[in-house]
Amino acid sequence: MTKKAIHYINQFFGQVGGEEAADSKPIFHSELVGCSNMLNQMMPDVEVTHTIVCGDNYVTNHTDVALEEILGWLEKQEFDLFFAGPAFMAGRYGVGCGLVCKAVKERFDVPVITSMNEENPGVEQFKTEAYVFQGGRKATFMKDDMEKMAAFAQKIVKGEDLKPAAEEGYFPRGVRFEIPHPEGTMAADRVIDMLVKKLNGEKFLSELVIPKMDKIPPAPAVKDLSKMKIALVSSSGVVPVENPDRIQSASATKWGKYDISKLDKLPQGVFKTIHAGFDPAAMCAVPDRGIPVDAMRFWEKEGKFGKLHDYFYVTVGTGTTQAYAAKFGREIAADLKEAGVDAVVLTST
Amino acid sequence: MRLEMGNFHVKDIVFGDTLSYSNGVLTVNKEELLNYVKEEEPGIITADLRIVRPGDKVRLCPVKEAIEMRCKVSGKSTGIFPGVTSPMAQAGDGRTHALKGCSLIVVGEHMGGFQDGVIDMAGKYQDNTIFGDMVNLVFVADTNEDFERFEQQKKNKALRWGGMKLAEYIGQCVKDLEPEDMEVFDLPPVTERSAEVNALPGVVYVLQPQTQMETMGYNTLIYGWDGNHMLPTFMHPNELLDGCMVSGSFMPTSSKISTYEFAVNPMVKKLMEQHGKTINFLGVIMSTLNVKMNEKDRCAKMLALMASNLGAVGAVVAEEGYGNPDVDYTAALVELEKIGIKTVGISDEATGRDGGSQPLVSMNPMTDALVSTGNVSQLYELEPMEVIGELEALARDGNSGGWEGSIHEDGSVTMENNGMFCCNHISGFSKKTCADF
Repeated sequence: MTKKAIHYINQFFGQVGGEEAADSKPIFHSELVGCSNMLNQMMPDVEVTHTIVCGDNYVTNHTDVALEEILGWLEKQEFDLFFAGPAFMAGRYGVGCGLVCKAVKERFDVPVITSMNEENPGVEQFKTEAYVFQGGRKATFMKDDMEKMAAFAQKIVKGEDLKPAAEEGYFPRGVRFEIPHPEGTMAADRVIDMLVKKLNGEKFLSELVIPKMDKIPPAPAVKDLSKMKIALVSSSGVVPVENPDRIQSASATKWGKYDISKLDKLPQGVFKTIHAGFDPAAMCAVPDRGIPVDAMRFWEKEGKFGKLHDYFYVTVGTGTTQAYAAKFGREIAADLKEAGVDAVVLTST
Repeated sequence: MRLEMGNFHVKDIVFGDTLSYSNGVLTVNKEELLNYVKEEEPGIITADLRIVRPGDKVRLCPVKEAIEMRCKVSGKSTGIFPGVTSPMAQAGDGRTHALKGCSLIVVGEHMGGFQDGVIDMAGKYQDNTIFGDMVNLVFVADTNEDFERFEQQKKNKALRWGGMKLAEYIGQCVKDLEPEDMEVFDLPPVTERSAEVNALPGVVYVLQPQTQMETMGYNTLIYGWDGNHMLPTFMHPNELLDGCMVSGSFMPTSSKISTYEFAVNPMVKKLMEQHGKTINFLGVIMSTLNVKMNEKDRCAKMLALMASNLGAVGAVVAEEGYGNPDVDYTAALVELEKIGIKTVGISDEATGRDGGSQPLVSMNPMTDALVSTGNVSQLYELEPMEVIGELEALARDGNSGGWEGSIHEDGSVTMENNGMFCCNHISGFSKKTCADF
């Protein structure tokens, strides 16, 4: 069964004009324009139905308006795939393709496929948002680049197994999955091979390349603790015994927020831990050892700090992915800021 | 130290009157074995034995342990698990006979837990565990251990000990037979090696078994000793191959090393094979995994120095687990690299359902040679199959790879890799890896 696709290109390839036409607004063609025809002919199971042509300056300088126009028009179309480019080394074209692909992916959740040269700044900016194929430096690579995009689209619509980024030819999107080892080689043999090569100073390929880390700068130190409103945030899994938000015992995808405004401690039997990564007996007996409300009330009464925030925030740390942890962090931080919390005691297990 | 491993290659297991082995067929008497195990482990209240073969449309769940059936023929130790099911004695010398190409698998009749797993004998996931590709004797039983019946973390003591005792009882049937082939593991003391061998790069195998549970009864055992109470220790590889280690009952099963794999450790065997050819295999540094930062740091620094004192210039580090223990794993690799010892790490990853999470909890660019054996967060879709045990255990009992709703009405299953029994085979058997998409 044929699937439908829509193709986005810039003013130059859309035959509007060169640099002087870079401010042109989106034009929606139901007759394919320029390279869209070539793309269409490459895919037996995909029909390219429309070409969208937009000026590079327009989409990069007036992004919100441009995307609104494009997405608004797409709302009325039926399509299963979205293509943009190839953009070669053209920087603004690459960024334009990336912006449109990202917006289409978010709104319509269809596969979005583009192509750029590795030196195009659009690669770094959008490789996690779309399938960005590794393209040539200039338009003489048009056919080669589109063939890669087309072959991949064919695989998608035929439901074939999609291979890792390096094999398919797109820039890694920042996601990793399990696969059968390509040569079916046992891990112990792979270790020996890597070890002997490393010992002999030969080249070897690590199966997991350690990426650069996000460095989050620590917040500035609190100035006057006695005036600070402090909140308790924890990955200890301490929740009301009925676990009202059904937070998972491992690999959590949720966090909870619970009222402690009338409590001086977390009583046994009222709170418990649901964390599956340690022996829960001690913490269930004294839930304050996960979320130290008792100690915080003590120091609050002593005047050591201003006020304990009326709620604590909690999730389960074990097996919980970094992506979810970061999401929880952003959501909880937003809530804390709104509540005027100045500092946080973060307890872990 | 010299260990002779006499192999008997089992092609099939059948029930019969007399426990015996002949021409590749292991015959077991069900009643005799069940009577024996119930007498040895009175905690076992109901028990059965089943035979499963590769290609049988059978799902085992909840799997608690897998063991190679063996017996000790000669040597210092009188049993196959010294310090555990037989008196403490040194493992790794003399002669041991083993029933190869098969295993004894322990399955809970009803109750599972966080640490238990699934094995499929057919279908898409048959090859995901080595046990799907061998004929297995399945010991499925329930116990009177009511104190942990509804606990998520279970020691599974009666079942695990029952399994070990059965494995040894059955293994006795080849004690007096002539092995079909013999593997010899003969590695002299580090100071008594030839000039040619000493000229090769010295390599150690650093094993980090799962020892993070502070409460006793859950961790990996070394000669029956809870690994939580250990510091890095230098050992002879033969000790591992001869049963000095017993797998624990803690943490998600896909990252576990079963007792079978501790003894049939392919990484140790490959290092032995390379000894005298490409490397000088110095031996095993048995380390630990800990929960406290100062314990992690102490072990990493001590094991690195131990490797250095042994003259190692290369090291293989294996981590039994993921998540928190990644800190110990990366620390060990980094401490070794810091003193100029070239490392290769072997473990699995946790990249999340969407694949977008940091694959290891702790990462350092100095760890530039890593072998990846699987992804604990990978979603698996299992077709319906006949079940030995109780499939509900996956969804009901807090299994690390299952959840409420994991099991569909037709018996098909959606689960995470986390819950498939030892499937990331950190021992080195894994034929999986991870890749960027």
